[in-house]
Amino acid sequence: MDQFLPILLMVVLASAFAIGSFIASKMLGPRSHLHAAKVGPYESGIAPRRELAARFPVRFYLVAMIFVIFDIEVVFLYPFAVMFRQLSTFGLVEMASFAAVVFIAFAYLVSEGALDWGPGKRLGSRAGAPVTRSLNATVRRVARPGTPPSARPPVLVEGASTGSGAGARGLDPVRAGASGPHGEEG
Amino acid sequence: MSGGTYLVAAGCTINDITGKISGLCTAKGSIHISINYPALVPFFVLGGGALVVLLLSAVLPKRPYRGLWAGLTVAAGVGTVVDGLVQWQQLNGSSVTPVTLGDQLFYDHMGAFFAVLFGVATVAGAAISDGYLEREGLDGPEPYVLMLSCSLGAVLMADAAGFVTLFLGLEILSISLYAMSAYHRWRAASGEAGLKYLILGSLASAIFIYGAALIYGATGSLQYLGVVSFLADNALFQNGVLLGGMVLVIVGLGFKVAAVPFHFWSPDVYQGAPTPFVGYMAAVAKAAGFAGLLRVLMLALPTLESTWRPIIWVLATLSVVFGSILALVQVDLKRMLAYSSISQAGYVLIGLQAGTAQGVRAVAFYLFTYTFMVIGTFAIVGVLQGRGEARNDLSAVRGLASRSPWLAGAMLVLMLGQAGIPLTSGFLGKWVVIEAVLGQGQYELALIGMLGAAVAAFFYLRVALIMFLAPESPGAPAGGAVTLSATGGPGAATAGGGPSDGGPESSEPGDSGWAAGAGRAYSGSDLQAIVTAGLSARDRALALRPPPHTRVRVPAATAAVIAVCVVFTVFAGVSTPVLSWAHAIALPWSA
Repeated sequence: MDQFLPILLMVVLASAFAIGSFIASKMLGPRSHLHAAKVGPYESGIAPRRELAARFPVRFYLVAMIFVIFDIEVVFLYPFAVMFRQLSTFGLVEMASFAAVVFIAFAYLVSEGALDWGPGKRLGSRAGAPVTRSLNATVRRVARPGTPPSARPPVLVEGASTGSGAGARGLDPVRAGASGPHGEEG
Repeated sequence: MSGGTYLVAAGCTINDITGKISGLCTAKGSIHISINYPALVPFFVLGGGALVVLLLSAVLPKRPYRGLWAGLTVAAGVGTVVDGLVQWQQLNGSSVTPVTLGDQLFYDHMGAFFAVLFGVATVAGAAISDGYLEREGLDGPEPYVLMLSCSLGAVLMADAAGFVTLFLGLEILSISLYAMSAYHRWRAASGEAGLKYLILGSLASAIFIYGAALIYGATGSLQYLGVVSFLADNALFQNGVLLGGMVLVIVGLGFKVAAVPFHFWSPDVYQGAPTPFVGYMAAVAKAAGFAGLLRVLMLALPTLESTWRPIIWVLATLSVVFGSILALVQVDLKRMLAYSSISQAGYVLIGLQAGTAQGVRAVAFYLFTYTFMVIGTFAIVGVLQGRGEARNDLSAVRGLASRSPWLAGAMLVLMLGQAGIPLTSGFLGKWVVIEAVLGQGQYELALIGMLGAAVAAFFYLRVALIMFLAPESPGAPAGGAVTLSATGGPGAATAGGGPSDGGPESSEPGDSGWAAGAGRAYSGSDLQAIVTAGLSARDRALALRPPPHTRVRVPAATAAVIAVCVVFTVFAGVSTPVLSWAHAIALPWSA
């Protein structure tokens, strides 16, 4: 039981700190009558009816994943560094192969464009998505579930309608896109 | 002590200055780990294969040329098979303690056997995935990397000598399978399958690791041999913690093998996930889960045999009964095969329930033959369903006997094999597990197994019958007469291979039959009634839809896999080399 006493003490201290902070901020903080319209992001006097979903690029997940991968590698490097002499050659080889595995994963990520942050720079290399933004490109890109790529609504590539031979195509963007490239079939 | 080098233990020296360790050190705080490298070759082959594919995909231009990734995966799978056989040869007659890598892995016959199994599944899975991914416009290196790492996890599970290693293998296997299930990017069902599998699978993993922790708490060891030696030396007055741990470990692994009542994920995942991956998953996840379960129950917890055998009894009975009965009412082909694989898991559990060396060998044989049957079946389903997995319902196979006789013949053999009809490996597999359980005097379980097989035969034969329905429009009461071979059974396998003489368009009675000798004529509606027995009106209509009009295109690699699976199913059913190979497994415990 004795060995668990520090943990118990830690739990008590942590809770005391958390609860104490709340109480202290209530007691010491400036009193104000806060209401929904007051704390809203825009103090227009109109309270928002519901929370809007915040938009942020899905690439953050990718970056987070890359971070985790290398973080884990570093976590394993610490004990290796401490035990370097005892592990000798075996440890070095082991660690090198571990680093090689992580590095290959990194090479794969780079080749997939995980670190290309330019707007739409390499987006289209694989999925066949258009490189430029247009109404069709952003709205119509996602197919309905169960629709094979061939049956998808065609995407419009900006260059096709504004560039050479725009004339007749430009009139009907959707139909014009049908002759444009949509690389999924490739 | 001379020159800074001193002797720690017999044959082990440590240099004081450089810290260099030399010799055989297993004692006195040294960190030298004895590694038997030949035991690790499957890991090097599979893991190295995955890394090579990943690296090449990074440095080569996109789509270098077709079949490169599948070819590399097949090569790694072949390497694993070859190495498994080499290991088997090396291990023949050796009686040394079979543990390696700091007591974390077994190097024994069972591991070599399962390495061969997983290698075979990798080869077949990669070969059938190639055509599928090409058709669906999904080809890329990722599925093959995932497949190789999944096989690596499976081999690790089969070789594990402790709960930590087992968990590691389980996670490598599971995470690869989650991603593979969700791989079909433009099919919503695939993403749903992946998500369901991920959530439920993570829960099962958590349950498993909690069970392992409880077993560690009760026995003070995470190694199977440590647990068994502790339990041999000490009598526990209160073994509640140990029993709880054991039950949770059984639940966690029971989830992986989809044993009722932990099967709920499997129909949804099988239905949604890309078809070739389902075939691979059904073979590998099941075999790996059972390999882990065998080692845990037979090796680590033999002293609790009187407790776990009733548990396995219940799981086996439920799996066989519910798997067979629920498969009867399925009209989705992949869903039906999911329930079928649940009932197959029940038979493996029957073999495990025997708790004897005979039972373990029966399980190994069953799993090995099932690998071929299930991958072959899903290969055919994957070919038939058409682009975008458009047709997964039973009627997708309708009229296959006249549309594509060879494919129908192959499907027939595989269906008969899974139903356990004599002259197929499925029959022999069911025979050996029931024999094993009869040897332990478990007559009820044997009876349940046989009755379950009788029920299951119906839905397997339903598929076979639908293949021989004339592919004309359904529902018409005055449909064309169909001549059905009265010989039935395995004889029909050869008849199914022959071309039909009735064209698919013919509608006159008597003309649309594929007469094979002296057949007995049923009217189309009679046969339809038999085929759709037990289905609701809506499902009946679904099962009798006309088949797709597109020509069935079988990629060469897929055709080869199907052929091999069919030949193996018959070969292992009529001859004994595979059976005697499984029976030659030298077990690392004395049972």
